[in-house]
Amino acid sequence: MPTDRFIEFHGVTKSFRDPRGGTIEVVLPLSLGIAEGEFVVFVGPSGCGKTTVMRMVGGLETPSAGAITLQGREIAGPSREKGMVFQSYSSFPWLTVLGNVRFGLKYRRDVSAADKERIARRYLELVKLTPFADFYVNRISGGMRQRVAIARTLAADPLVLLMDEPFGALDALTRERLQQQLLELQKAERKTVIFVTHDVDEAVFLADRIIVFSARPARVLRDLRVGAELPAERTLDIQETPAFRKLRHEVLSLIRAEEERTEAAELAAAS
Amino acid sequence: MSRGLDRAGTVRAVGPDVRDPVATASKRAAAEAGAGAGAAPPAAPRPASPWRDLFRFRARTRSDVEVWVGILAFVIVIAGWLVATELEFVQPQFLPSPLAVVEAWWGLFQNDYHLDIGISIGRVWVAFGLAAAIAIPLGVLMSSYRAVGAFSEPLIDFVRYLPVPALVPLTLIWFGIDEGSKVALLWIGTFFQLVLLIADDAHRVPKEFIETGRTLGAADRALMKDVLFRAMLPNMVDSLRITLGWCWTYLLIAEIVASNSGIGYELWTARRYGKTPEVFAGILTIGIIGLVSDQLIRAGHRRAFRYLG
Repeated sequence: MPTDRFIEFHGVTKSFRDPRGGTIEVVLPLSLGIAEGEFVVFVGPSGCGKTTVMRMVGGLETPSAGAITLQGREIAGPSREKGMVFQSYSSFPWLTVLGNVRFGLKYRRDVSAADKERIARRYLELVKLTPFADFYVNRISGGMRQRVAIARTLAADPLVLLMDEPFGALDALTRERLQQQLLELQKAERKTVIFVTHDVDEAVFLADRIIVFSARPARVLRDLRVGAELPAERTLDIQETPAFRKLRHEVLSLIRAEEERTEAAELAAAS
Repeated sequence: MSRGLDRAGTVRAVGPDVRDPVATASKRAAAEAGAGAGAAPPAAPRPASPWRDLFRFRARTRSDVEVWVGILAFVIVIAGWLVATELEFVQPQFLPSPLAVVEAWWGLFQNDYHLDIGISIGRVWVAFGLAAAIAIPLGVLMSSYRAVGAFSEPLIDFVRYLPVPALVPLTLIWFGIDEGSKVALLWIGTFFQLVLLIADDAHRVPKEFIETGRTLGAADRALMKDVLFRAMLPNMVDSLRITLGWCWTYLLIAEIVASNSGIGYELWTARRYGKTPEVFAGILTIGIIGLVSDQLIRAGHRRAFRYLG
């Protein structure tokens, strides 16, 4: 059993200044450990701060207090160690599909030029886009573009893969297929993944572990080790099993209760 | 019932009209309304008429069709002009006939007009090149580093709102009546507009592109060169194309006020002697140069940024 020391949150908080001069607490002191190779999904009511938590891991936001460490070293800013896949199609339109994947290797000094080409083609093959290597990304579908973004990020060989609702803009069928492919990829590459979503089915299907956040300011409501309760072999069929439904129900009720609670609080504040 | 089949059948039905696009479009629409599965079978598949798309709300049509429509506009204007002058609706002193203008043009070219054109184009390109060479890096830096932006934006905004003709006396005092003052005036007129447009283009590059670049290991310099600049390039070329047009406006001011060569000088001289055809020839020359350079840049844009399509 790997220890939860790969990524650690030490009393991390985040607050933003609001336009009227006050401060908005986004994240309450958060202490959490994530193990290497774990697939962790953050869920929570919309606007709860789960994305902010993930962006702090990516070094794209700085904690207001506390620190996040990766392999014991404090995260000071964005780097190739923390790969990120966004919801919007962030593949570069001026590059072809292969060019985008190559870009992931552009700043790697640990591999030779010949190896870069080989690695780029291997990841292209892994996301099943080899036939589209020479297409510009504006010519391919949204699902394919997200596969390009995933391949590009993996080609950079990050220690952790951060995914911010990457399948949020896709249709249901494409999303299911990509979820499966992502799991296969993660198994093969043994990457640590932090995945943000508000889709509970997606969360239960993908996760080894689900962290349910409260409404803003975010704190951990429940830390669910899903891996033990669901079969290691995840096929779409497991969505029909009692264990899956039970987990799904548990997570959904938590989020619903949170949303009702905030709604009531907002109403009270307004009247 | 397939659309293509229907259209092909209708094309046959209105065959004699195909030369008149407008009539064809309306008749074909009428014919198509009545045409059903019983329409004549297609002898050979003919491409559906693109002319009708011209009259559909927000429809797109073939680019060669659009070129012809654009040419049609010129033909109509010139024909109207010809009618108005040949039937003497207006005095030639105010509106000379197109033929007189062509004649005047011929006369100008006999008199080394091509040298004037060359000088004017040269002035525009030197000034514009100097403006772009500074505005592009400065604009990118202004949007990338707030130190540069906060320092230079108010200053640039101030100069930008000064009317360029107001600066003519200054450029004459500083640079004399030689090429220096013209280039300086054009440079002032374009640079301060261009640099803000470029900064804006850089600013509009999606945050996700920059963050993606960072998480793939790009440092600041690499981010600017490999991500920011590449992402803003198509919009930047458009900004350059637009400011090049403004540059021509200031050229005329510079050449009218103090010059003894160039299109603007010839135009002003012609006015002084009341030679309206020559004035028209000068205006048309500028229009043609503007149209041609704009179309060339657009074509280059389409070729270079085919990935946008």
